[in-house]
Amino acid sequence: MLPSVYHGVWRAAVHTLRTRGTPPCRLLSTAPLADAETIFALSSGHGRCGVAVVRTSGPASATALKHMAGLTRNLPPPRTALLRSITHPQSKEVLDRGLVLWFPAPHSFTGEDCVEFHIHGGPAVITAVLQALGSVAGMRPADAGEFTRRAFQAGKLGLTEVEGLGDLIHAETEAQRRQALRQMSGELGRLYQDWSHRLKRCLAHVEAFIDFSEDELIEDGVLNQVDSSVCDLQAEMERHLKDERRGERLRSGVQVVIAGATNAGKSSLLNTLCQRPAAIVSPIAGTTRDVVETALDIGGFPILLSDTAGLRDSPDLVEREGVRRARERVEQADLTLVVVDCAHLSSDAQQAAAFIQGHLTSVLPTQEQPESVFPTDRFLLVLNKSDLLPEEQKQKLDRELRCVSGLPPVCLISCHTNEGLQDFLTVLHSSVKTLCGDPLSGAPTLTQARHRAHLQQCFAALAQYQRYRDMDMALAAEGVRLALTSLGRITGRVGAEEILDIIFKDFCIGK
Amino acid sequence: MLTKKLPPLQSFLVQVSRRASHVARQQYDVIVVGGGHAGTEAAAAAARVGAQTLLVSQKIHTIGALSCNPSLGGVGKGQLVKEIDALDGVCGRAGDWAGIHFSILNRSKGPAVWGPRAQLDRQRYREFIQSELLSTPRLTVLEGSVEELLVTEPNPEEPGQHRVTGIRLANESHPISASSVILTTGTFLSGSLFMGQTTSPGGRIGDAPSSAGLSHTLRERLGLRTGRLRTGTPPRIVKDSVDLSLAQLHPPDSHSTPFSFLNTHTRCKPEEQLPCYLTYTTPGVERVVKESLHLNCHIQQDTKGPRYCPSIESRVLRFPGRSHRVWLEPEGMTSDLLYPQGLSMTMPPDVQLRLIREIPAMHRAEIHTPGTLPDIYVCLQLTDLTVKFYLNASYFLGRWWFPGYGVQYDFVCPTQLSPALQVKSTQGLFLAGQINGTTGYEEAAAQGLWAGVNAARWALSMPAVALSRTESYIGVLIDDLVSRGVTEPYRMFTSRAEFRTTLRPDNADLRLTLKGFEEVGCVSSFRYQKAVRVRDSLQDALAALQSLALSPSIWRKKMPDIPMSETKNNVPTGMDILQYNDVSFETMASAFPECLSPYMEFSQRLKIEAVYRPHSEQQRKEIERIQREENMSLPQDIDYLSLPVSLSQEVREILDRVRPSTLGAATRLQGITPAAVVHLLNYVRHTGQKERRPHRYRTDQREDEEPRARNTSLPR
Repeated sequence: MLPSVYHGVWRAAVHTLRTRGTPPCRLLSTAPLADAETIFALSSGHGRCGVAVVRTSGPASATALKHMAGLTRNLPPPRTALLRSITHPQSKEVLDRGLVLWFPAPHSFTGEDCVEFHIHGGPAVITAVLQALGSVAGMRPADAGEFTRRAFQAGKLGLTEVEGLGDLIHAETEAQRRQALRQMSGELGRLYQDWSHRLKRCLAHVEAFIDFSEDELIEDGVLNQVDSSVCDLQAEMERHLKDERRGERLRSGVQVVIAGATNAGKSSLLNTLCQRPAAIVSPIAGTTRDVVETALDIGGFPILLSDTAGLRDSPDLVEREGVRRARERVEQADLTLVVVDCAHLSSDAQQAAAFIQGHLTSVLPTQEQPESVFPTDRFLLVLNKSDLLPEEQKQKLDRELRCVSGLPPVCLISCHTNEGLQDFLTVLHSSVKTLCGDPLSGAPTLTQARHRAHLQQCFAALAQYQRYRDMDMALAAEGVRLALTSLGRITGRVGAEEILDIIFKDFCIGK
Repeated sequence: MLTKKLPPLQSFLVQVSRRASHVARQQYDVIVVGGGHAGTEAAAAAARVGAQTLLVSQKIHTIGALSCNPSLGGVGKGQLVKEIDALDGVCGRAGDWAGIHFSILNRSKGPAVWGPRAQLDRQRYREFIQSELLSTPRLTVLEGSVEELLVTEPNPEEPGQHRVTGIRLANESHPISASSVILTTGTFLSGSLFMGQTTSPGGRIGDAPSSAGLSHTLRERLGLRTGRLRTGTPPRIVKDSVDLSLAQLHPPDSHSTPFSFLNTHTRCKPEEQLPCYLTYTTPGVERVVKESLHLNCHIQQDTKGPRYCPSIESRVLRFPGRSHRVWLEPEGMTSDLLYPQGLSMTMPPDVQLRLIREIPAMHRAEIHTPGTLPDIYVCLQLTDLTVKFYLNASYFLGRWWFPGYGVQYDFVCPTQLSPALQVKSTQGLFLAGQINGTTGYEEAAAQGLWAGVNAARWALSMPAVALSRTESYIGVLIDDLVSRGVTEPYRMFTSRAEFRTTLRPDNADLRLTLKGFEEVGCVSSFRYQKAVRVRDSLQDALAALQSLALSPSIWRKKMPDIPMSETKNNVPTGMDILQYNDVSFETMASAFPECLSPYMEFSQRLKIEAVYRPHSEQQRKEIERIQREENMSLPQDIDYLSLPVSLSQEVREILDRVRPSTLGAATRLQGITPAAVVHLLNYVRHTGQKERRPHRYRTDQREDEEPRARNTSLPR
């Protein structure tokens, strides 16, 4: 969990308690607890769209607006759209031409100074504008739900909206978690994890030098090792930050994964959807062993469809790895199509529903939803091979399963005869559409901007180590601590105990 | 403070009461059980806050004894001593009185992590503590064994909620009543001694009614969870038998820096200080350990040992093939003993002798054999039980030895305590020191002081006070204990403090003395006045530095030696210049005598302040955020498992187990999601608006006077 997520919660919390006993509306519209930090985020949905809206909130909004919209003197009149060229504040390169709106405090969504950029919807433009905003001093990408929380803090939300805040944060952090998982399992993730690991060791060795070198035998070379590690890390980060491709192209689009038992017809479904034999289909259980990916366009929305190995316990090493990857994909997916062979279903609807429930639980990622509420919006149930059922049973099943509550949407299809395919595509389209409305789903640009900001902080903090290395170890160590905290916003928080673990493992420390 | 003449020790022994019937009163505000580092600070602090306090110790000789190493302070620990002193505690001044070798560790690593440390004269330290307690108003010292802790039956409406009413001593029929009781009994809970293959499990040698009675009350009646820890001490070496020419000489600092903010010099003159010596282990040491493993049941029984290496056995087993440091420390000005720091061991005494003789400087060393019995009582600040064991062991060996030994003991899991160190399920019962799973004098003293303050405030119907981890190492210590618990003896390191560059030894008085007087009530007005003067002078001096804004060329003219960078700042101020590595306040004051010379006495503090100020500014926001979180209290009686809000089962179980006392503590728990925090907050806020149930334990008049004072559910 990102530690910074807590900050906002707490600021909101403080405000709530301070206004205890009085209606929370518009009490502190001048926001005395306002953050010095200014946040920005893509506020419109992802997917193919004509216009994207990027929003900022906080004191630096005005500066950002002036710099990026070429307004040298005056700010535009409040709440009035103005057509401007949007430029990079440092390089002065024109990024796009679009509308800008200025909402001075307190008459804005968050009660702070806000700016909206209405720009063209292409990913390249969005990325460029987000990165440009990130380069303005005092600006950083918003955390999950942060705009809403600031609005809450400024008393702009009513009580019922406040009640929903917890759920909102949950949903958003959940989306972020999936997103992070997706990136963390790739090359980029390995790179960040490696940096984090090395930084941890650096910090542990610096801390050991501070806390123990007077009493215990800490080798003289320890700091020299840290010096060279820090140098290496700085060089690598600098290269990485300069490299526009950043090592790996992030997969864009809504992630849809096909999962289910062996021989349910998952690969057939993939082939049917992409209208070409992208995956090998055979009657032998366990044909698909690796993840087969294909990019699709469903009703104008980009999706990345993955076929996975059938879930079963197999003695075969290769297949077991396939199953592990399949489960990993399901965990990272925005939407999972669970394919069930309807020949396995009992003719009794109750029994069939129970079977499906059990099946879904086995597909679910292990650490899913603590409340054990089934996340129906992230799953579609596909009952395949309907051509093998008698017509009468088919209709009964279809009718009765729709009445069972707690199940995700059910589609009865046959990949063999294409029966029911149209209906399925309609359901899939509406699910994807809903997902694309969520700016966090499948929007790697936002995470990229966030990562970039944290990496830059990390890089700057390492310079502090270098600066104080020979003057003041406490301040030098502070640099490494800051660097690790910044990187930890990407790779996960590192606590004092973890550092002590490394110290006690690497050095012999007495009582 | 150092000029006063201590009354002779004998007078202390005469003045303390040895029988409860001689005690003037049968009722006290606060009773402190145990006279170690935690107990003495607790008793003194409670009395300073204004409570009639009784200190009960089994052996009055041992009050203020240094039971293990003869030293105070160090990296992290020195910060604690400075903070204890800033809150008007005893140990800092005792250290200045008894120190015979002062040094600032980490001198080259930055003032934030300087570790003030001193070797102590055991005799002088004890003298000072005893004389200090004697002259503390409202404090009575009594020799006796506590047989029973008196608690009320739990309130039927609040199962598990007890309240302390007092204690009963062994061989006394009348109880002594009190509103608060502080237990600082160290390793007494089921303590057992280990040496070689001999062990003495508690209760087997002789009868120990006191510890048995207390243990029973804590575990059975109050239902407190305990865990087991171990510690040890090295054998004492006869100084004359050591060839010190083969060891590395470590001289003290040429200027001995006192611990206390009240002292300008130490009792021991700088030139009279004694040196320490450094030696290293050899492969022979490793061989002896490995050969004698079968004779060493302390090590054999090592189940879940700590991550660090508490004994020489664990050092050579876990890091074989290396040589390890052994410090030879003086035990006192006139003592003929050396304390071999780093050689804690539990093997049979004859093997111990073989082991130490494997170290070149000690190739003919003798383990100390005390001549008379009282010395043992003085050195071993342990229970009757352990002394008896020691006597037994010595009897079998045929002579009085002081070999190393190990102790295993139970501690009370500190997550059952509030940040005031009060047992959550028992009102008025406070625990401090080793009983909470910590190790070290300074850690014990810090807890003792804070428990003493809060026990007194509880007894006097004043609201509890807390120290934040953003303002003090004591706060870090207590927060770590009560919100995370311990798995190994807890020791303070500077790396545990998030805001290390703000929590410096030099500014402990500014951080704590003012608050200690204004909010806590444990600081004398004499010390407060002094701290106020320091604060005002520093503020003036910093303002003067800030107003010295000159162009680089003028700076260069005034101070030709400074390396001015042209580009950095158009008009650098004195603060900016003072940050430079090779600029001292003295040189600056000589260039600008008219405005800076009045502040010469603070030159070191000003230099430190200038270097750290920019970083403190950066941290200030983060500190304020954490402090706001810590100000939001969670009611202690929430039933998390059935709370009608949307929380996952996992989160409910974590909250139910740990019962964080503030929302700030809740966020630091592993597994608590931001969503859970918001839901929890909403709940607290709503119940806070409604009338909360009236105060629970209204048994005496005083509590009625401040009905909301102890209701911790609302933010203040």
